[in-house]
Amino acid sequence: MYAFFFQICSNSIKIGLRMSGTALSPFPLIPFPADIGNKSYPLTKYPTRKLKSLAKISCSRSDNSSRSTSQQQQLNLSVLRFTFGIPGLDESYLPRWIGYAFGSLLLLNHFVGSDFSAITPAQLRTEVLGLSLAAFSIVLPYLGKFLKGATPNNEKSIPEGAVPIFLMSQNIPDILKEDLAWGTYVLLRNTNTISVLIFIQVALCVRGYWNTRKDIPKDQVHDWFEKEINKTGLFDLRETLYFPQAEELWEILPRGTRSFLIQPVLHTQDSCSDKTEMSDGFVLLASSSTYAYSSKDRAWIRAVANKFRDPRNVRLMSALLR
Amino acid sequence: MGAGTLIRPTPLKSSPLSQQRPPPRTPTPGYHSSNSISIPRSSTPVKASSSLNSQGDYGGPKPKRECVADWVSQNDDVVRSLPIYVGGLSLLAVLVNRTISGIAPVADASSSQSRADLLTLGLAVTNILNGLVWLSIRPKSVSAVNPEGAECQSICPLLPDFISSELLWVWESLSDATCCRSLIIVYDKRVILQIGFATASSNTHDAVVVDVDKLMKGSLYQGALKSKSQSYLANLSLYPAKSELPFLPPNTQAVILQPLGDKGLAIIGGDMIRGFTTSDQAWITLVGEKLDATLAKMNNIPVNA
Repeated sequence: MYAFFFQICSNSIKIGLRMSGTALSPFPLIPFPADIGNKSYPLTKYPTRKLKSLAKISCSRSDNSSRSTSQQQQLNLSVLRFTFGIPGLDESYLPRWIGYAFGSLLLLNHFVGSDFSAITPAQLRTEVLGLSLAAFSIVLPYLGKFLKGATPNNEKSIPEGAVPIFLMSQNIPDILKEDLAWGTYVLLRNTNTISVLIFIQVALCVRGYWNTRKDIPKDQVHDWFEKEINKTGLFDLRETLYFPQAEELWEILPRGTRSFLIQPVLHTQDSCSDKTEMSDGFVLLASSSTYAYSSKDRAWIRAVANKFRDPRNVRLMSALLR
Repeated sequence: MGAGTLIRPTPLKSSPLSQQRPPPRTPTPGYHSSNSISIPRSSTPVKASSSLNSQGDYGGPKPKRECVADWVSQNDDVVRSLPIYVGGLSLLAVLVNRTISGIAPVADASSSQSRADLLTLGLAVTNILNGLVWLSIRPKSVSAVNPEGAECQSICPLLPDFISSELLWVWESLSDATCCRSLIIVYDKRVILQIGFATASSNTHDAVVVDVDKLMKGSLYQGALKSKSQSYLANLSLYPAKSELPFLPPNTQAVILQPLGDKGLAIIGGDMIRGFTTSDQAWITLVGEKLDATLAKMNNIPVNA
């Protein structure tokens, strides 16, 4: 049994050492496919060798998003992963399963497998140690999620009862309509989002999977959204709110939302004494997985939100540049 | 002059944009794992406000501070080696326990003590292996290289408002969200935007002007437009075609060439090797498509003689 573990261990060290030496891509020019589709980017696996046991060591390349530090260091990995090769099974949760399994076996051993009168202090010490190790193993995948370079979970699961809708205010200029359509499309496609809502001054655009009430007729859905937005008071928001692990706070959010982000669209207004930040509106994104938005995602969401800043101010900026 | 002449973009002397890199978006601190909002979950009732220009502040619920996430991301190295220490110490503890209790260190499953020991050993080994996996996937950190050259901010003067605002938005997004430090947009055989860092010419120390004809005859431009897809030169120093981009600072580390439809190309220079992630590449492709749609609305701009 130990031979199995040690073989994996030594192989992983050998491969790990070999991989860490080659940091450059084997393909100098990386042509980017024109049809991106809905692939998840982080991992492409190239199986390198098969061991005699169940396990397969896969060699994979991934360029992961960064958590930028103040020194602006970027992260690039040549990733080595231990995998059973079963698609859909996340092996980073293996310590958790082993922790549960061995912990329950320890308890079984204590109560069933041994004579109560004959339990020695030595055995008790071992069992206490074993149970605390099991607890630590169970917590380990949770800690691993926050390390740099952790691959985010890109699977989107659609909450039940939610219907795809695409709603846009009608009395707005065509350019704004195009921008709203593009903005919502891009946010749904490039981030781990199932529902997006953009509200700019009086223009509203809702796209994705939402739980609208069934008793509301179609032409009043727009008003229902506006009413719900009024209830949340999000117009006054001046900072980005990111709820990585929240339950649904407002009725407007679809059921099954596990994390969401609200990005206000701000412009600075120079008043006589100082600059105040005025809100033009906000962008609301909801996702069905926790910790859905990395810092890189948030930076790009901020960039998309800035597209909707008051055009008067933007025109002023570009006029000054000429 | 013929259609091939480039419009000399007006170089700018002063602009409200700072002379250095565009200022970071400090007014919107947002939620960062190292800089989280330390406001406890507020239970004040949600303010129902329909006035868009109210001076009031948002009074609704705010996210809780994430202590574990912050601690782990700040002590990344410690956390990576933690399971190895925990596993190793437990391994030793189990063996020591067996020796001091006078039991022979034999790995058999006959007595309940041995079974408990085996299970604990299995858990310890799992922890050690997990720690090794975490250490082996420690990301290689690459540091940014400051581009050498002069800053410039030039835009074609005859563009309509909505196009120039879109171009400036593209620059602001790229410099904020990625490692981009130089951006040149060529469309319809002329340079319509050159912003960020550029090679300084030797006599005037101003940014050099892009020679569009030479660029368009070069292999990089031709190849990008022919393939109609993005090219990512992750480590520019490895490519001999680097000489076709003399206007970028000589120590530019990575370049993305994004074709804009059939008529244009966006050249994005970054300050880090492999500095553009796959996520960045996807975003840049979509932004390029948007820009192409906007630029296609441009009527024929008369060429300056």
